[in-house]
Amino acid sequence: MTIYSLYIYDRHCTCVYYHDWHRSRRPKPAVEGGILPAVSQAVSPSPHLANSNASSVYSGFGSPRNTLSSNTGVVVAVNDMLSQAPATPLLQPPPSPITTPMTSTGLAFDEEAKLVYGVILSLRNMVKKLSGRDEQFVNYRTSAYKLHVYETVSGYKFVMLSDPAAESLRFVMRQMYVGPFLEYVVRNPLVQMDSREHGIDNEYFRASIDRLVRGLSVFP
Amino acid sequence: MAIFGLWVINKAGGLVYQRNFADGLAQLTSNEYLVLAGTLHGIHAITSRLSPIGGSSSGAQVIEGESFKMTILLTATATKFVLLTSLAEPNPDNVLQKVYEIYSDAVMKNPFHTPEMPIRSEGFDTRITALIGSGQT
Repeated sequence: MTIYSLYIYDRHCTCVYYHDWHRSRRPKPAVEGGILPAVSQAVSPSPHLANSNASSVYSGFGSPRNTLSSNTGVVVAVNDMLSQAPATPLLQPPPSPITTPMTSTGLAFDEEAKLVYGVILSLRNMVKKLSGRDEQFVNYRTSAYKLHVYETVSGYKFVMLSDPAAESLRFVMRQMYVGPFLEYVVRNPLVQMDSREHGIDNEYFRASIDRLVRGLSVFP
Repeated sequence: MAIFGLWVINKAGGLVYQRNFADGLAQLTSNEYLVLAGTLHGIHAITSRLSPIGGSSSGAQVIEGESFKMTILLTATATKFVLLTSLAEPNPDNVLQKVYEIYSDAVMKNPFHTPEMPIRSEGFDTRITALIGSGQT
């Protein structure tokens, strides 16, 4: 049993946060302008890589599996793509396990995020139509993974991918909402929510989500 | 425990058979069912591409709402059988497997049936009633 990834969408259908753990297939980084800044360091387009100095800055991301590191300084602010500073002690990269070779899904991250959103939106409409009530779509399962959805009243959608055998993760996503999300996003004056210009990624939020997920019994 | 409905979707995404059993879900027009079946067909294709791990993934097999679930059986010939049941329904996969058998017998062996076209076969109807209609609580 394991958890693969977490997407958070706002009510404007844009992905504002992404985090992954045990994926063995990653999407390619998003194309320039495909996603907002401050969604996830791991899948953002990296224009700085062309610069030879950049390699030292990116040494913190030596493991392609590590999406924990962000690239801001100590300030609990929105991760701006342009500001570069080494990772703070708050975000020690976890000891990376023996890395299996990471293959790509062949999709860019922005494409993948749109597909995920399209699927949950269509399924939500289908469930509403079929039930004839204001009923929520909860999850679906394939042979390889299970996708869980939790939608808040304000239209934020938490989407998690887990092992197909996992129980419902709704309570976990609700915990994320009432815990880290309220604490480090809603109550953080530096995060512009609903801006359509920035994601909500910041170090405290990322670390706190990471701690929450790693503490789950379904997380190996 | 209740079975709400059964759909058969052909490989092009067209709804070729749709029938309601127990009450509990909204009654829709046949046009709305056609649209939903087409949507499901598309979603099914996308879900198999979203796999976070290596190896190939099937499309969605079970889709759950808060009060019902849809179990999907994809056959080797890309026909989809969809069963709408309550969440507690113990064995929708078995029911679908039996539906597939009945489909093979009563539809595919019927010389008057055109493949990929809507199923209008009394034999199929009666045997589905015997399978699902009798299992009602």
